[in-house]
Amino acid sequence: MAVKLENANKSPVSGLRWWKEVGWKHIVALVMIAICVFPLLYVMSASFNPGGTLTGSIRLFEKVSLENYQTLLGSLFPRWMLHSFIVATATAVGTVLMAAAAAYAFSRFRFKGRRGSLTALLIIQMFPQMLAFVAIFLLLLTIGDIFPVLGIGSLLGLIAVYLGGALGANTFLMYGFFNTIPDDLDEAAKIDGATHAQIFWGMIMPLVTPILSVVGLLSFVGTYGEFILARIILARPENYTLAVGLYVWASDERNAPWSLFAAGAVVAAIPIILLFMYLQKYIVAGLTAGGVKG
Amino acid sequence: MRKSIVTMLAAGVALSLAACGSTGAPATTPATASTAAAATTPAAAAGNLTIWVDETRIDDFKALGEDFVSASGVALDVVQKPTADIKTDFVAQAPTGEGPDLIVGAHDWTGELVSNGLISPIELGDKGKLADNTVAAFQYDGALYGVPYAVENIALVRNNKIVQDTPDTFDALIEQGKGAGAEFPAIIQVGDGGDAYHMYPIQTSFGAPVFKSNADGSYTNELGMEGAEGEAFATYLKKLADEKVASVSMGGDQAKQAFLDGKSPYMITGPWNTAAFTEAGMDISVLAVPSAGGQPSAPFLGVQGVYLSSKSENGILANQFLDYMATTEAQQKLFDLGGRVPADTSVAEGITDELLAGFAEAGKNGQPMPSIPEMGAVWSHWGNTEVSIINGQAADPVAAWKTMVENIKAGF
Amino acid sequence: MSLDTKQAPPAPTKPPLSHARDLSRPGFYVKLVLMALVNAFGVYGIMASWAQGEYWVLAALAALLVVANYVYFSKRAIPAKYLLPGLAFLLVYQLYVMGNTAYVAFTNYGDGHNDAKGPAITQILKTSDRRVEGTPTHPVAVLEQNGQLGFAIVDDGVVKAGTAEQPLAEVAGAASDNNRVTEVPGATILPISEIQQRQADVLGLRVSVSDNPDDGWLRTDNGSTAYTAKSLLDYDEAADTFTNAEGKVYKADPKQGLYVAEDGSSLNPGWRVFVGTDNFTRMFTDSRLQGPFLSVMAWTFAFAILSVLTTFALGLALAVIFNDPRVKGRTFYRAMFILPYAFPGFLAALVWKGMLNRDFGIINNMLLGGADINWLGDGDLAKISILLVNLWLGFPYMFLICTGALQAIPGELTEAGVMDGAGPMRRFWSITLPLLMVSVAPLLIASFAFNFNNFSLIYMLTGGGPNYPGLPIIMGETDILISMVYSVAFESGVKQYGLASAMSIMIFFIVGFISWLGFRQTRKLEEIM
Repeated sequence: MAVKLENANKSPVSGLRWWKEVGWKHIVALVMIAICVFPLLYVMSASFNPGGTLTGSIRLFEKVSLENYQTLLGSLFPRWMLHSFIVATATAVGTVLMAAAAAYAFSRFRFKGRRGSLTALLIIQMFPQMLAFVAIFLLLLTIGDIFPVLGIGSLLGLIAVYLGGALGANTFLMYGFFNTIPDDLDEAAKIDGATHAQIFWGMIMPLVTPILSVVGLLSFVGTYGEFILARIILARPENYTLAVGLYVWASDERNAPWSLFAAGAVVAAIPIILLFMYLQKYIVAGLTAGGVKG
Repeated sequence: MRKSIVTMLAAGVALSLAACGSTGAPATTPATASTAAAATTPAAAAGNLTIWVDETRIDDFKALGEDFVSASGVALDVVQKPTADIKTDFVAQAPTGEGPDLIVGAHDWTGELVSNGLISPIELGDKGKLADNTVAAFQYDGALYGVPYAVENIALVRNNKIVQDTPDTFDALIEQGKGAGAEFPAIIQVGDGGDAYHMYPIQTSFGAPVFKSNADGSYTNELGMEGAEGEAFATYLKKLADEKVASVSMGGDQAKQAFLDGKSPYMITGPWNTAAFTEAGMDISVLAVPSAGGQPSAPFLGVQGVYLSSKSENGILANQFLDYMATTEAQQKLFDLGGRVPADTSVAEGITDELLAGFAEAGKNGQPMPSIPEMGAVWSHWGNTEVSIINGQAADPVAAWKTMVENIKAGF
Repeated sequence: MSLDTKQAPPAPTKPPLSHARDLSRPGFYVKLVLMALVNAFGVYGIMASWAQGEYWVLAALAALLVVANYVYFSKRAIPAKYLLPGLAFLLVYQLYVMGNTAYVAFTNYGDGHNDAKGPAITQILKTSDRRVEGTPTHPVAVLEQNGQLGFAIVDDGVVKAGTAEQPLAEVAGAASDNNRVTEVPGATILPISEIQQRQADVLGLRVSVSDNPDDGWLRTDNGSTAYTAKSLLDYDEAADTFTNAEGKVYKADPKQGLYVAEDGSSLNPGWRVFVGTDNFTRMFTDSRLQGPFLSVMAWTFAFAILSVLTTFALGLALAVIFNDPRVKGRTFYRAMFILPYAFPGFLAALVWKGMLNRDFGIINNMLLGGADINWLGDGDLAKISILLVNLWLGFPYMFLICTGALQAIPGELTEAGVMDGAGPMRRFWSITLPLLMVSVAPLLIASFAFNFNNFSLIYMLTGGGPNYPGLPIIMGETDILISMVYSVAFESGVKQYGLASAMSIMIFFIVGFISWLGFRQTRKLEEIM
C-alpha cells in the first residue's frame, strides 16, 4: 500500500492505471522471488542444522545454530574464498578485455574469413570436453616443466586455462552489441585523426559498458562455480578454490558434511549477489548515458 | 640434469633481458626463475613417500605419517583427494609418473587397478594378526594387492525407545514393527537407482549370494543369484515393498531422516550413520540382520586398505611403510584415530564401543564385495531390477529376476 | 542499419597512424613494454623447452612469438592485433583438448588399455614374479662387492651370499647375529639409508637360489627380508610372447593391444593401440541400442529446444518487465532473480531431487497437500520435471543477457513506436524482439548446444531414469544422447574412453551442423536489420 502511494505521488500515472502499467510488475516480482528462493530455503535450513540431512526432512528450520558457520571460519574455507576471488576476478578481467578486442575486430574490420572464424569460435566451444580432465592434466604437466608458474597446483595456471575459453559466446554477445553502435562515430573520429586503438579504448569501450559488465559477471560466475578443471589443476586442498572445496565436501555420499556444505554454499553465494547489485548500475546504464545521441 | 636446466633457464632470462634493454621485464621474470629453482631442489629427507587419501581419513593418515617418520626417517606426504574422484584421478595420472607411491582405498577397486596395471603385488612377509577375510579381499589372480586396515559392513540398527528385543526372523521383525505403531516396520534404503548393497543381507539369507564361492572363500565366476533361491528373494522383495519396508522414494537421505525422527524401530545401515543418531540423543543398538529366507544373513564387507602404485619409484620405502601398516601398532593407531572396525584381530578384540562391536559381530558371516571390473554392470542391472520389482513396474518378480540374470550373463 | 554492406575502412591505401609509428603517444611505450615482456617470456620458454627436450613446445612457442611480433610491429594486420591474445589462449588450451580427444577416439584407450606397450610388459613381468609357495622368508643383508650388489642370508645356520650373476653360495668367514648376516669378507653391508638411496637397484636385484634356474631366485621388497620367488611367465622378446608353466603361449595382438592365448584368455594389462574407426562404427552396429535410439534422439532434441525456449522466454520477459524505471525496488528484484545462478548447480539439482521425492518431498507433501504425484518415477512427469528444474536453473542467465542486450536498443526507436501509436505488445514484437535477436540469437544456439549435452543435469536429477526394465543395457526414459553414450562406453564399470570420445565427437558433429545452419539464419537476421 505504501509503495503504491509513493508511486502514485511521484509518477504521472495513478490508481487503476498504475496497477495496469506498474503495479502488476511488483506482483510478478514477488512470485518470481518466491520461486527463486524456495528451494534455497532447504539449503539455508540445512546450514543452520548441525548434523542434519539435506533433503530428508520437510520441516525446515527445525534447529537453528551458527555452529556450521563457525566451523567454516576455522577450516580452509576463507582461503578457498580468497583463491576464488583471485581466479574469478583475473579471469573476468582477462575475458572482458580479450573478448571485447575480438568483438571490435569482428565488428569494425572486414577481413577474409571473418564470418567463418566468428562461427568457428562458437562451434569450437561445443566440442565435447569429456576427456578434458585427462588432456588438461597432461598439458599442464608439460607447460609446468617449462613455466613452473603455469603448471599443476598454480592459480595462474588455472586462470590461463580459463582464458582459453574467453572467446566464444562472449565474443558473440559483444559483437552483436558493438554492431548497434553506428559506424558514423568511428568515421568521425578517424577524420579527427584518431587511431584505431584510440577509437577502441577511448570511444567504443565506454559506450559498451553494459555488455562489458554482463560478460564480466557471466565470466566471474562461471569461473567462480567451475570445479571440474580446477580440481584437476589445483590438486591439493591448500590450493583449492571455493567450488572445488564445496564439491569435495559433497562428493562422499555417505559421510558428506551436508550442513557444513550448505553453510559454505550460502556464504559463497553472497559475493555473487553483491557483485551483481554493484554492477547493475553499469549494466542498465544504457547507451544514452555514453552520449551516443548527438 | 636438473641443475643444468636451472642454469640454462637463468641464462635464457639474462639473454632475453639483454635483448629487451631496460623494459619492465626484470621485475617479473627473475621471480619465475627463482620459483623454478625452488621447485627443482630435492628435499633433504632420508626419503619421501606420497600417499593419496580421501577427506574422510586424511587426519588419521597424517598422524600415522608422523609416527612413521620418527620410526623410519621416511616422511609421508599425505595428499587429500575427493572420495568421488580419487580412483579416477589415480588411473588417469599414475601413467604420467605424477601419481602417488601409495593410495588408500576400498578393496573392490583391485580389479580395475590391476586391469590397468597400476598397482604392484605385495609380499607381506608377516601377515601379523590381520583377519583372513580382510586379506582375502585384496587378493586378485592369486596375488595380494593391498594391506587392509579397516572393515565396513551394514547391520540392523534398532531404536531402543520403540522396541527393546528383536525376533530371529525378518517376518517376525516386520510384525513386531507393525505392532509397535511406527510409520514403517523397518527401513531399508532403496532410492531410484536401487540399492543391492543394502538389500544384500536379506538376499543372502535366501542362499543367493551374488557369485558362488570356492572352498577357500574366494568367488567363482558362477552367478549365485541364478535359480530358485534368487527367485525366492525376488518374490520376498515384493513383500517388503507391500509392507512399506522398501520404497523407491526412500533414498539414503530420507531413510536417515525417517529413522532420526523415530518413524521406524529398525533401519539397515552402516557405521557412517550411527554417529548422527547418537548425537541426536537416540538410544540405539546394533545387531545382525535376522534371516528372512532361513539361512544366515551376510552383509557385504567393504575392506579399506593401502595399495602400492606400480609406478612408484620408491619401492623399498613404500614396502617399508606397508610392513609398518600391517603391524598391530599401526592398526591400533588407525583404529584409535578413525574408529573403524579394524582388520587386525587383536585390535578388534579390544573394541569397547558397543555399536562398533555390533557391526563387527554382524559382519562375521560377511563376504567381501567382488572386485572384478565387470561388477559395475552387475550392480546396475541388480539395482535396476530391484527397483522395478519394488515399484511394481515388473508385475512378475520372478520373470524380472530371470531377465536380470540373463542380462548379467550376457555382459560377461 | 545494414552492416555487411558497409565496406571496411580503406586501410591498405592510406593507413591511419598506428601507435607503432607515433612516438609522441604513450600508447606506443605501453605496447613496447608489453611486447618486451612477451618476448622475454617467450625466449625464456624456448630456452627451457630446449633444455627439457620438448621440441614440439619449442616449435609452438617460436611460432607464436614470431606471429606476435609480426602482428604488433607491422602496420598491416590490424584485426589480428585485436584477435591474437584471445586466439593464443584458445589455441593452446582448447585446441589441445580437442586434439587429444580426437586422437583418443581412434584408440582403445580406457580401462585395461591405459598406457603404452612398454609399461604393460614391465607390469606383466612384475606381477608374474611370485613368491614360491611354502618357502620361508629370510632376514637379508644387502651387500656391495666389487661394485656389484648382492644378498646374504642365513640358511639353516649357514651364511650364503650371491649377486645377480653369482647364485647363492656358502661363504667362509662370515658372521651373523640372530639370523641376520653382519659381516661378509670382501664385501660391505649396506646400511638402511644406503639401501633407501639405491632402492631401484635393490628392488630389481634377483639372486638365483642355485645353479638350476627352476629353483627360483631371492628378492627383497623392503630391504630387510628376502623371499624365494619365481616367474609364472617367461617373456620371449624376439617372438613377443609370454609362456606360462603349462606351456600356454600368449601372443601379442597389435590390433587389440593385448597378449592373447589361443583359448581367448589374455594377460593384464593391455596397452593403447590405434583401432581405426572401430569406435565410430560401434554405435551403429550395437544391436542393443537400436530399440531405444530413436526415442532418445527425439527426447534429446525436445529437451534442448524446449530448454532454450523456456529459459529464454522467462528471462526475456523478466528483463523487459523490469527494464521499466517506474518499478521501484527493481535493483533488489533483479538481484533476487539471479539467486538460482549464484548457487552451485549440482547443489540445486540435489535439492530439487529431494523436493520432488514422491513420498517425502515438500512439493507433494506441503505445496500440493499430500498429493501422490510420481514426479521423477513416471516417464512423462520426469521429463516435465527436468524441463522445469532446468528452467529454474537457466532463466537467470537469459535474464542477464537480455537485460544487457536491451540497453543497446536506442530509446528513439521505441519512442518512435509510441508516436506511431503502437501498443506495448506491438512495440515489443515488432521493434524490441527483432533488434534483440541480432545479438542474442547466437547465444540461443550456443545454449541449445549446451543443453544438447547437458549430462550433469540429467545425471544429478534422474540419472536417466525411470529406467526401462529388463533391457540388456541400462537405459531410461530421460536419457539424452550424451548420457546414453556414457552408459554404453562406461557400462559394466569398464571405462572405454576411446569409444566415449568417438561417440561424443559424432554428437558434436550433429550439434555443430545444426548450429552452423542456425548461424546462417542469424546472419540473415543481421542483414535485415
